[in-house]
Amino acid sequence: MDTVLFLLLTFPLMGALTLALTGRGLSRRSVEILACTSVLSSWVLALTAFLMYDGKAFSVTLCHWFSAGTFQVNLDLYYDAMSAVMALMVTFVAGIVHIYSVAYMRHEEGYVRYFCFLNLFVFAMLVITMAGNLVFLYLGWEAVGLCSYALIGFWFPRIIAANAGRKAFIVTRLGDVAFGIAIALCWAHFGQLSVSGINDGVSGLTAGTAAILGMLFLWAAAGKSAQLPLSVWLPDAMAGPTPVSALIHAATMVTAGVYLLMRFFPVIQVSPFVMAAIASVGVITIGYGALAALAQTDIKRILAFSTISQVGYMFLAVGAGDLAGSMFHLISHAFFKSLLFLTAGCMIQTLHEEQNIFRMGKLRQTHPQFFWLFLAGTVSLAAVPLSGGFFSKDSILMAVYLQPHIYFKFLWLLAMLAAMLTPLYAFRLFFVVFFAESPEDRRRTTVTLPRWMTWGLWPLAVLSIFSGLFNLPINWHGGEWLTHFLAGVPDAGAQIHASSRMEWILQSCSGGTTMLMILIAWLLYGSRQPEAQPSETAFFHNLTQLCQNGFHLDQLYQTCITAPFWKMAGFLWINVDENRLDAGLDHGALSVLNISEKLRQWTTGELSQYLTMMMAGFALMLCGLTVVWWYL
Amino acid sequence: MFSFPLLTTIVFLPLAGALGMLICWRNDLWCRRMTLSVMMADLLLAISLFTLNAHQGTAGFPSGWLRIEDFTWIPAFGIRFTLALDGISLMLILLTAVLGILAVLISWKAVTQHVAAFHFFLLTMQTGVLGVFLSTDILLFYLFWEAQTIPMFFLIGIWGHDRRIYATIKFALFTIAGSLLMLAALLSLYLLHGRQSGHYTFSLLQLTSTTFSSPVELLLFAAFTIAFAIKVPLVPVHTWLPDAHTEAPTAGSVILAGILLKTGAYALLRFAFPLFPDAARFFTPWLICLGLAGVFYAGWIALAQKDVKRLVAYSSISHMGLIIVGLAAWNLTSLSGSLLQMINHGVTTSALFILIGMLDERLHIRQLSDMGGLWKTIPVWSAFFLFFTLASLGLPGLNNFVGEILILAGTFSAWPWAAVIGFFGLLWTVVFSLRMLHESLWGEPGTLRPPNIPDLTLRELIILAPLCMAVFWLGLHPGPVLDILQNSVSGLLTHNGRLAALAPSALP
Repeated sequence: MDTVLFLLLTFPLMGALTLALTGRGLSRRSVEILACTSVLSSWVLALTAFLMYDGKAFSVTLCHWFSAGTFQVNLDLYYDAMSAVMALMVTFVAGIVHIYSVAYMRHEEGYVRYFCFLNLFVFAMLVITMAGNLVFLYLGWEAVGLCSYALIGFWFPRIIAANAGRKAFIVTRLGDVAFGIAIALCWAHFGQLSVSGINDGVSGLTAGTAAILGMLFLWAAAGKSAQLPLSVWLPDAMAGPTPVSALIHAATMVTAGVYLLMRFFPVIQVSPFVMAAIASVGVITIGYGALAALAQTDIKRILAFSTISQVGYMFLAVGAGDLAGSMFHLISHAFFKSLLFLTAGCMIQTLHEEQNIFRMGKLRQTHPQFFWLFLAGTVSLAAVPLSGGFFSKDSILMAVYLQPHIYFKFLWLLAMLAAMLTPLYAFRLFFVVFFAESPEDRRRTTVTLPRWMTWGLWPLAVLSIFSGLFNLPINWHGGEWLTHFLAGVPDAGAQIHASSRMEWILQSCSGGTTMLMILIAWLLYGSRQPEAQPSETAFFHNLTQLCQNGFHLDQLYQTCITAPFWKMAGFLWINVDENRLDAGLDHGALSVLNISEKLRQWTTGELSQYLTMMMAGFALMLCGLTVVWWYL
Repeated sequence: MFSFPLLTTIVFLPLAGALGMLICWRNDLWCRRMTLSVMMADLLLAISLFTLNAHQGTAGFPSGWLRIEDFTWIPAFGIRFTLALDGISLMLILLTAVLGILAVLISWKAVTQHVAAFHFFLLTMQTGVLGVFLSTDILLFYLFWEAQTIPMFFLIGIWGHDRRIYATIKFALFTIAGSLLMLAALLSLYLLHGRQSGHYTFSLLQLTSTTFSSPVELLLFAAFTIAFAIKVPLVPVHTWLPDAHTEAPTAGSVILAGILLKTGAYALLRFAFPLFPDAARFFTPWLICLGLAGVFYAGWIALAQKDVKRLVAYSSISHMGLIIVGLAAWNLTSLSGSLLQMINHGVTTSALFILIGMLDERLHIRQLSDMGGLWKTIPVWSAFFLFFTLASLGLPGLNNFVGEILILAGTFSAWPWAAVIGFFGLLWTVVFSLRMLHESLWGEPGTLRPPNIPDLTLRELIILAPLCMAVFWLGLHPGPVLDILQNSVSGLLTHNGRLAALAPSALP
């Protein structure tokens, strides 16, 4: 088992290293094969580890990393049910994305760089998944950030892409400040940094420390998972290649924040305040993302805001104490969102890089397979009854509802309201793309994609429809397999169950609303040309604008933080460092020079003047001596 | 027991080489070759030091010290020639020796005028710095401290860029002003101790037993610390550094950033703190504040820079600020982190300066606005630049991260708020580093850029390879280095009694 885990990590790392060192000398085909094989082998190993897992968490120490005093860090792994599921999902989706990328990036020059970073990403993500201590976890955490930076900015000659990459790096790094502080705090408080040690030592935590630690984790997680108020980087991150968006910015990296919270759930759980904060961030972000998604016209931006919103559900679940529900939604979201992104990538390439949904026209007739694939993803995203998303979302809402505190009832209400928006934007996207007329329809040529490009998407489609089976609720005579599997994870076993009747009511309630919202979406966007609609009232227009800009969060940060930050930099440099400090010192030096210049003028070379000065000096000395003599 | 005076040899070998080189001063190539071989021999000696001590252990020497060489020099004034080696100086010597070799290699093509003189100064510089890292007799230390300034003065003044005269005079004035303060302080210390004990000596080990009245101690500590802070440099006495770096030739920048700045921090740790522990305790919050101020202030200014060399110079100030925070926090973890970070900073910042020098040789550009799209023009250079910048911004797995997390975690245990602010400071590093990458590597190459610019040559790859390996080694397996540092640090932490017991008479 140790070997399996070690190899599981090593394969993608070796892939990345080999590509980085020798990639320029390899043929294109071998680069692709190398990259895909390393990830697929990793998937096989993840599956092996999963099957070998016997329900008991265990740790492996790979080697010593560094230590100073009691600050000791090893490269160690901690493998439990949660990492088993996560590693399996990560390697599976990554494998599909790698194969898909071969087709998607077939005309790109920088393929070595692309696959190198993609492999490195898989390694880093697996480190997050299985790291046994905070610092090693932080290594993975930062490394995924680096890969995200490099891959968002893959088309670096385009300034937009480079900017988006930088923004993503800096905003997530803002979150990581909290992670760093959390490391220091954990060390100061627990005297060690291992995941299990921290979770076991919770009993010694005071309420205050627990709250601080929990909030630090929340802040770090919000950065990585693009939750409010650090959500601004994700929509811009869509400047990267679409497979990257599918893997990093939908299925895996953005869920790392949730994973972090689940990892340290025992710590978080100590403080009800933190739980409520996490749930609130989740709920607000759900609504925020859904509203913003509703007004976008760029297919990738719709999906990006949808990701922000969906990850909000996972936060909500953690806040409500429903780890299994959070994990369930994480998995099903990974399937349907990567499916949606990858299908969107196919459509975008088919239509000559067209990303505006209103110009995509009737792809249904020409490319029926896109239609079916996208439908599978949309159905699951919209939580249409019996799809994967339905069950996962439903279990979260249930858990929130069942929390005893009145505040959670309020959150539940908000979440239900926000949940109504999801089918609306999901099917708006779907109907506009596949049913609406588009002015460009007639004169359009399409690009023919490699036939096998969509092959990998079918398993994803099947999984996103049927992922509900992983954790079928009891009232559906399901075994709640995932919940039982995760029962070994600390505090995940505390499962809340409503009466069967209550479950039925809640489920039919949310199922009914979903269908209703789909109907509304059909009426609004089903067959007409939305662009040709007469413009609505000014209020509605403004509202659309507001949503489309993500509530001007970007502009707000720009004016309140970024611009002053730059100004301050210039101010400190020119006004303080150059003109005050440095000029002041220069000035001082120059005045010394001036004085010596003045003194130099005394050397005139005239003997009479020297004699006069000598006499004057002599007189002065005598006077001085007299005075001294007098007083002594 | 007489053993071969290895430390003395290490210190004076470069000087001997410099004098020996005068024989062939007309032949440039031989000057280069000779300097290179002297530097390499010095490195070999330094490495042999490493293995020797690993085998012998610390037997025969008081704990904490690996080797002490002590000779009578001017007995009338109690001045002795004492070189002592512990883990801290060992690592810094190693860094000095490696960077010395690199300094010769990077100047192979870049320096074409007065070649013999250039290498003469490189070598004398080496002697000065090595002496600073080894001497434990304060007067001897002072002599080496001054001696390292002079070659740098000429290196910048003769082989520098356009405003070199201004920069080098500024550098010299700053350093000399600081060291005069130190001279005054150390003479008073000498007299004070002599009066107290009746035994006039400059030996650090004995001077630590001096007792002071509180204001005197504060005054003396302040004098020493100002001298050292100028070298580090701490805000607000940093203004010489950006000019010196910008105008210095590449080799000068490398030595300056890689080694000279470390002498300041090292001296603080070796002299100022152990000599005046109470004053140090009193000034700790101030030092921490100044260090943190440096992190933000210099980081902010770095963000606004237009000249890439100046940007890296300010980033140095920012990094050194964090090192001072770790020193001031004065516990095992933070000190180990600071010392490791000194080496890390020496590696990464030197590498960045070297890369900028290489770019300058090719394109003659240093302004960020003239760059852009370099990844398309010279991808291998760009990959290295990306790599070292990432190391410098503290990406885990690369070297700077280990130092930073140790400094901040250690500081956190004593000064939680300072550490929290320090963590935020790292964000500033990220912002200016990314800006540097952004303006230089990404985007489209401008139309003015000549096509077919050669990428890195084999010589240049050989220069960068050891730095690259060091980045990985220190990032992934810093254990051995940390162990060596830590032994000495724990000696320092319990210093007062132990250092006092280390009188030269007690030596074998």
